[in-house]
Amino acid sequence: MSESHTRKVLEPFGWVFQMITGLLLFAFVIFHLYITHLTSHDALEYAKVVQRLSNPAIKAFYWLFLASASFHAFNGLRAILLDTDFGGRNERAVNTLTMALFVVAVVYGGLLLITF
Amino acid sequence: MEREVLFRIRRFDGDKSYWQDFRFTAKRGMTVLDGLYYIKENLDGSLAFRASCRMGVCGSCAVKINGKPRLACETQILDIGSTLEIEPLDNMPVLKDLIVDMDDFFRKHEAVKPYLMREDDDYENPKELLQTPKELHAYYDFTLCIKCGACYSACPASATRSDYLGPAAITAAYRFCADSRDEGKEERLSLVSGSEGVWRCHFNAECSEVCPKSIEPAKAVQKMRLMSAIHMIKSIFR
Repeated sequence: MSESHTRKVLEPFGWVFQMITGLLLFAFVIFHLYITHLTSHDALEYAKVVQRLSNPAIKAFYWLFLASASFHAFNGLRAILLDTDFGGRNERAVNTLTMALFVVAVVYGGLLLITF
Repeated sequence: MEREVLFRIRRFDGDKSYWQDFRFTAKRGMTVLDGLYYIKENLDGSLAFRASCRMGVCGSCAVKINGKPRLACETQILDIGSTLEIEPLDNMPVLKDLIVDMDDFFRKHEAVKPYLMREDDDYENPKELLQTPKELHAYYDFTLCIKCGACYSACPASATRSDYLGPAAITAAYRFCADSRDEGKEERLSLVSGSEGVWRCHFNAECSEVCPKSIEPAKAVQKMRLMSAIHMIKSIFR
């Protein structure tokens, strides 16, 4: 058994934000489906998508959607890996790798959003 | 009432594991533990199992009966049916037949410091520590743990990560953290909030399902997790 892990903040924050992002994603997915499928029949045409994303509010929404989904996914992956003995032995590597992937996903997706 | 029953026992002799069948007539009122004693005395003296009090207090005789961890002394044979598959507990190495090595289980229990910690401990001049009934009820249910290992055996998180503290140890930690007389909360919280602690629980509540004392370890783990999260987040702003 390893020694005490005082002042570790990733575990409690990971747990709290996993719940928060889970709830947010539920609302975000519904809103996303609403604007892409329920408002009009041609909402998925390229021109319409570009037109929608020129609105800063929609852009901000999609960025928040991206950040929530990425966090939920990579924090979930982190928890799955830490559930194994292999993950437990390589805890620091698991934490660094999954959180780096989260940052990369948010930054890369953010750059794509800016180009619109 | 009497009925012919089949005991299928998962045996282990140190090298290989195999099933062995025993048939005998079970009378009404016979527990699974009585059945095991009957087999040991009349059919096969080499059968090994643990037991002590025969009344659900010591927690020695927990085994898997038809896939579910239960106390052999508190399970009526005729309630289960005519075929009983008896196996040793999961998530612990088997030593012989139904006997498992519980060293790890007890080491984890010990690791969370399951005892009252106070600054003013003075055994020369003992002081009475008063508690209201409400303060008692906050933790009372969790004092009933008999450390049988049934929860630990049923826990999927304990199955995949060998250093996960497990439901019993975290319940013991919560029992003392929720005690108004205790002053060791800070220390205990830091022990259970590591990556091998409360965060590994998936809350599938199988531990509460199998607990022979119905103390709901899953509830204690969730409460401990919330307490740890609040404590950790507060500690950043201190």
